[in-house]
Amino acid sequence: MKTLFQTSLKFAAVMLLLLGGAAITAHAQGARLQIDQLDSLANRASETVDVKFDEHLMQTLPKLFGKDDEDIKEILKGLKGIYVKSFEFEKEGQYSPADVESVMSQLRGGGWSKIVGVRSKKDGDNVDVYLMMQGDQIEGLAVISAEPKEFTVVNIVGPVNLEKLTKLEGQFGVPDLGLDQPKPKKSKLVP
Amino acid sequence: MKMKLAIIGLIIATTFFAPLTSTFARGDDFDAVVKAIEQFYHVKHQSLPLLARAGMKGARTVARVRGGDYKRLADAGSVRLVFFEDQEFNSHGRIAGFKASIQSTLNEAWSPLIATLSAKDEEQTYIYIRDAGAKFHVLVVTIERREATVVEATVAPDVLAMLMKDPNEMGKTLTDDAALNNNQEPIP
Repeated sequence: MKTLFQTSLKFAAVMLLLLGGAAITAHAQGARLQIDQLDSLANRASETVDVKFDEHLMQTLPKLFGKDDEDIKEILKGLKGIYVKSFEFEKEGQYSPADVESVMSQLRGGGWSKIVGVRSKKDGDNVDVYLMMQGDQIEGLAVISAEPKEFTVVNIVGPVNLEKLTKLEGQFGVPDLGLDQPKPKKSKLVP
Repeated sequence: MKMKLAIIGLIIATTFFAPLTSTFARGDDFDAVVKAIEQFYHVKHQSLPLLARAGMKGARTVARVRGGDYKRLADAGSVRLVFFEDQEFNSHGRIAGFKASIQSTLNEAWSPLIATLSAKDEEQTYIYIRDAGAKFHVLVVTIERREATVVEATVAPDVLAMLMKDPNEMGKTLTDDAALNNNQEPIP
């Protein structure tokens, strides 16, 4: 009886550990969007760019940067991934609403909140910026830009500092996210 | 006693043969990528590249990208390079299929960094990175309509950091560097 009890206890402990591990993994990967389903668009796109700084690579990045790159090191610190997929098409209608929906559906609920939504009826441009929050901390960022001839998804996983994120624009394959900080107003000189 | 001998044997085997296994694994990945290209496009690699032509082209690009005098990027003797010249690279509308095939060919130790594809022009660049202790292995696959290149090189962290700031140019810069330096080990 004692053996059975001990075995059950061990089994329960192992199950708890496994469940705990799964929960931690699920949380860590929460801000990671599944975007590989978009890969087939490359067959129709005139230009495709797929940037992938996965978690494994992000862990090695601090080794790469020296004292001259303290700013970049600071931004990358704690980030778990940077993923960009961008497709340019020659004609309109070469990607479907279902392609966009396959990403957007992941952003409904699950801790994501839309912070910016831009719609242009004239140009047909749609840009949405989503944040995943954990308390006061940003756990992830997603930018979906759907234009008639271009479709771009940017997904940054991990604690994102929006003020410093602008420094990543144009580097590491991150496009211009339009997150420029407002410039300080020039004070008038009093004679 | 037998147990002790077995443990000592295991330690010796791990210490001396693990780096050897890693070297073979590195070669396997490079060869596997070359084979994947050959199978998908029905082409054959050439072991004697036109170094002079590529070198001249490379020197200009590398100097331009680095904004100064030319400096070797890859470690001497670390470069493996294979050319496919004057052959047709037509994916027949399945360029994404080739991307998936390259991805499945490489093991998880390789992190995919960037892939750029142009279905219309049949142009593709793939860059993969693998941690190699204090340095990094970089694998670059470049495919154009009539030619392709596969390069594997070991680079220092500072060089990789510089290249990664502009991943779009990274593949070209490294390939040119490899072509310029005749330190590659040709595949038989």
